[in-house]
This record gives sequence, C-alpha cells and structure tokens, in this order.
Amino acid sequence: MAVRVQLTYDMGKELGESLIEIEGARFVKDVVRLTRERFASGSGSFDTLSRVTAIALNGVLINYRKGMKTPVADGDTVAFVKAAAGG
Amino acid sequence: MIKGYAGRILEIDLGARRHSYRPLHEETARLYIGGKGYGTRLLYDMTEPGIDPLGPDNPLIFATGPLNGSVAPQSNRFAVVTKSPLTGGIGNATCGGSFAYAMKRAGIDLIVVKGRSADPVRIEVEGDGDEVRFIDARDLWGKGTYETQAKLDKKMKHAVIGPAGENRVRYAGIVSDERIAGRSGVGAVMGSKNLKAVSVHGSRKLEMDDADAFKEYTKEVREIFKEHPVLGSSLKRFGTASIVNTTNGRNIIPTHNFKYGHFDDAMKVSGEYMEDHELVGVKSSCIHCPVTCGRDVELEGIGRVKGPEYETVALLGTNLEIGDLKRVSEWNYHADDLGMDTISLGGTLSFAMELQERGMLEVGVSFGDPAGVTELIQDIGHRRGLGNELAEGSKRMSEKYGGKDFAMHVKGMELSAYDPRGSYAQGVEYATTNRGGCHVQGASMYMESVGPLTINPQNLKLKADIPVVQQNLACAINSMVLCIFSTYGMIPKAIHDMSPNSFQYKLIAKIFENLGPLLRLGMSVKGRPMIWWEKWLTYITGQPMSSGHLQEIGARIFNLERMYNLREGLSAADDTLPARILNEPTFPGMKSGHPLGELLPRYYKNRGWDANGVPTAKTLDRLKVQV
Repeated sequence: MAVRVQLTYDMGKELGESLIEIEGARFVKDVVRLTRERFASGSGSFDTLSRVTAIALNGVLINYRKGMKTPVADGDTVAFVKAAAGG
Repeated sequence: MIKGYAGRILEIDLGARRHSYRPLHEETARLYIGGKGYGTRLLYDMTEPGIDPLGPDNPLIFATGPLNGSVAPQSNRFAVVTKSPLTGGIGNATCGGSFAYAMKRAGIDLIVVKGRSADPVRIEVEGDGDEVRFIDARDLWGKGTYETQAKLDKKMKHAVIGPAGENRVRYAGIVSDERIAGRSGVGAVMGSKNLKAVSVHGSRKLEMDDADAFKEYTKEVREIFKEHPVLGSSLKRFGTASIVNTTNGRNIIPTHNFKYGHFDDAMKVSGEYMEDHELVGVKSSCIHCPVTCGRDVELEGIGRVKGPEYETVALLGTNLEIGDLKRVSEWNYHADDLGMDTISLGGTLSFAMELQERGMLEVGVSFGDPAGVTELIQDIGHRRGLGNELAEGSKRMSEKYGGKDFAMHVKGMELSAYDPRGSYAQGVEYATTNRGGCHVQGASMYMESVGPLTINPQNLKLKADIPVVQQNLACAINSMVLCIFSTYGMIPKAIHDMSPNSFQYKLIAKIFENLGPLLRLGMSVKGRPMIWWEKWLTYITGQPMSSGHLQEIGARIFNLERMYNLREGLSAADDTLPARILNEPTFPGMKSGHPLGELLPRYYKNRGWDANGVPTAKTLDRLKVQV
C-alpha cells in the first residue's frame, strides 16, 4: 500500500500520469517532498505548477488539519487542487 | 416608464389564438426588477392554488430584465417561470443565447403564455412586436431542438422544445441556440400547451438613463474580465468543466449515485482533458459575452456540436462512473436535441442503475458501463418502455419502486454536482432553495469549497449565513437577467494569485470564516454601487442600486417564492436532503452525513422565518411581500 497523489492536470501532463503513488511518507510534507522529486527543474517544475494549489488529504484541506504536519496513512489520497468555478 | 424596460407584456391565449399587450407595472418592476422576480410575482397573482402544472391554467412566462438588450457582458439571459411539474412548487430556469436580446429588441419585457392549443402551434413575433402570428407546427412536432431551430426563420431568435417537452418528460427544458433553460421541467409545461416554438425579432434600441456612463464603464469591465483568472482565463480556456479536478480533489464530485465523492478517472472528463483531446472550437453562445465558456466537440456521425458543461460531465460521467468524454459528449448531444436537463437526467439514470445493482428493478444499464445508455436516453425523451418511468424523475420512481434513501433529489429536483457532505453551506442551499436541489440559485459552494477564498466547509461557521446572502444575490441576478457566472468575478485577482498555503491567505480565510452575522449585515448596507451589475443597473434604470438594495430585492423574491411553495402545499418537511447525504459519511472520520438538523433552525432565524419555516408577518411586511 502507498499514499495516492492526485496531481493537477498540468502536473499530470508534465509527469505523464495524473495519479501517482508515493511510498514511505509519514506526513503530508513527506508526500510533497517525494512528489517534488518526481519532477525535473525548470518551467514545468513542481514549485511552478503547485504555486497556487491547495493540498487536500482525503478531500479535506490540510489548512483545517495540521498543515504539512498532518499524518498520512497507506491508502490515503493527497490531492493538489486549484481554485475553480463551474456550473 | 423606468428606463431599461420596454414597458409592455405580451399575453398569448393559445386556446383562443389571441394576443394582447398590457403595460409593465412600474412599481412591480421597482420591487422585483424583472426576469425571475417579476415572473414569480405574476405567477403568484394570476393563478389559483393547486393548479395542475401540466394543465392549461398554468402560465408559461418568458421574462427579461433591464440588463437584457444591452451590450453588457453576460447580460443576455432570459428567465422562464411557471409551476413546476417536477416539484409541484415554483419552477424557473434561465437560458443564455440571444433570445432575451431579441425580445427586448422586439419591445417586449415578458411573454405570458396561457391556455393550451388544440394542435401543435408555434408563435412568431415580428415588426417590433406589432405582428404576432400563430403558425401550425405539426410539421415540426417530433423533431429535435437542433432540426427545429434550423427550419425556422434565420433572422429570428427562437425558444423551442424537443420530443422530451412534447412528451412531458418532467425535466424537459426549453432550448435556445445551443443553450437550455434546463431545470424545473419548463419544457414539459411548454409541451403541455402544444407550443413548439416562440420566435422573436425586432429592431428597437434599449433606452438608458445614462448611456454614456454605461458605455464607458462597460469598456472598463471588459478589461477587468480579460484579466480575471476565472472569467478571462479558466472559464475561457477550459469551460465550466475546468472545475472537475477541484471537486474531485475535494471529494465532492458525485460518483456512483453520490455514494462516493471521488472518481479515479475524473480527469478524463475534465475541461483540461477536453481541450487536449476533444475540443474543436471555443465560442460564446451568448450574445455580447466575452467569457466564451461554450465548447465545441466533434462527434462521429453527427458532426460539430456543443460540448458538455461541468454539471453534465459530472452527472452523466463520474456519477455513472464513465470516464469517457466522447460518450458523455454524445449523451449531452442527445439530451440537448431531445430538450432535457442533463442534471436531472444523470441523477435519474444513476438512481435507476442503483435500483438495478440492488436487484430492485431491471433497467438494463449499470455503473461503469456505457452499454444501453444512449438508447435509454432516447427512450426517456420519447417516453418509450422503461424510459417512460425514468421520465418521471427519481422521486416518483422511488415512490413506485422503492429506494427513497438513495433517490438524490430535493423537493423532486435532482441534485447538481457538488456533494454537500464536503460543502455544508451548499447543502443548506440545496435544502432550502425554492425550486429544489440546484446550485445556481446561490452557488454557496464557490464561497466555501471550490473558489479562490475558501473556508472550512465542514464546520458550522457561516454555513447558515452564506446561503442567505448568496440566494438573495442569485434572485436579483436572475431578475436582471445576468449570468450567475458574473458573480465568480466578485473575488479579485489578488486573492486568486495568493498561495492557499500562505500566511496571508490563511489569515484572510480565517477572518472571513469568523464574520458571523457581519457577513449578512455588511452585504445589506445600502451604499454606492460598487460591482458591475450594480453600476449597470444604476446607469440603465437611473435607480441607485447597491449590494444592500439587491439583497433586499433578492430576499423579497426569495420570500415570495417561499410563500408560493407554501401555498402549493410544500412545507418545512421538504427542506431536507436525501437520506444518503444526511446519514452516510464519505470522509474519513466523519461520523454521519451533512449536519442539516443543526443548521436549518439557524437558517430559518437568519431568514426571519418561524420554527416551521414560514416567513413571519414582520418579515413579509419589512420586505413588502404582498400575499
């Protein structure tokens, strides 16, 4: 088992897949660090693409939990989400 | 007459094939603006309680407002108001395109269609409204909305129904260009009158109180729109389906008949995916709108057609567990051509699939499998076989076949694509919105869970306040008649540009979340016009309009709708959410579902209603709601 990471569309395009799995993460900060490692540096870098994204753990923004120190467990889904409008 | 209005209402008696004009009532226009507001006032006053929504006594009201006929961006929608055959309460829907613009050019504020024609008929209004013709429409009866419009006079603008409206599918809509007044079953009411199409053409100019100020300011607004991250970028580039990955990440995209809030293949029906794989064009289907949220896709054997919106890719995609944009686009095309609301269609299909999954009814369609869906959609539109059952909607099906706990509707109207278990204010809005389970009568989710400045959507703070101000605002917006997407521009670019993980963002969100009653108080201040629709209304009508004025007018409209529903037999018992939403958790650690029981009394109090959800005499008096 691992933590599933749902990337934004642009991140997914950069990596070639939009849903990845991360092994060995204990906290959200570990998920972010290990996800960043998958990206190359430059214009398509993780830091560029994630600049205005929030992070949700199983649908709940980490801002309402313990931020980057929120613990994660196998089977959890961490998502990078942008603000959006539809209807 | 106040500027911005044509000053007259066209009344059509289909049974007698007669028409007449009467003047617009100036005081009613001041109190209710136009569009949905004015239409609701007319419906309330001209009908007896308890009429059959599909009978001749139910009027079908096409209503414009003072912004229609102008070149203001996003300002050319019309409202349709009637008694809903889906809910038995107030029915309304708005529609883009250019029909509203044409109505105002023809010198008409509202068209009130009464009675029933013995045979299929269509109406043409020309000569700046002076020529009204009743034309035999038997040659068009049975034809889809696309073919029907193609056969009508090219210089006119049309509002038509397809087979779904003719066959009185309870969630049939009225189509104009490629847009649809989808909700409430307004198309079924039109079909019940044997009215196939209304076509209008005219050349009158809209008179404004201060045309120069309007013109100058509109130029400014166009620049604001260009720079805005939603109106000028995400909606423009990816359409409304650009929100898919956000609702999926927030665990609120309907999946498997709202059993879950996340679908692994959601990305494949997103606006971004559409742009990369299916898109053949972007366009503005609505006159004078620079946002161009409309998409074009190519379908094999059909050609270039309108692409699906967010609600459609969610309700016909993720909710049915179909991650195939081609399929969803095809179903969207069929629904549009038949003239059906894709939200209620998707909610009814997923309900039927769950009935089959539980062995309660053999429907021949299953989650995750597109086989049979196209045929079933056609059968619904034509009320053939089992399609005749699904044409009644999920509420009536659940009363016949069981499954009330997982029939995903409010007041009979199927929920739209934001699961309220992860968006509590949206849940309160669904439960209390007068036309039923819809999101565009407030769009609370934008303020709490998906927009650029979100709060914790899963505590009780502001969750009984946001729906009040948002519903009031939406009532006013739908009476101008402006596109609800304009409200997405309320939050400035500077907030969009902030990282949600930054200290400043968290601080602003925290302050917002803790505003409490100050939110309603602040919105109710009658000051200077600030945002574009307030300024446009002021320049066009000469009546000063601010947030406070519009909150008051919106509350007046909302309470009148409420009184209509109470008169028609709805009650506080109908202010609820599906049992699945109330009882089944979808988030880890969530003990139950949506906490509506705790929020509803607060909402009633904020509205000035008693414990039974009835507006008090004091509230009605304060808002000048005469009943």
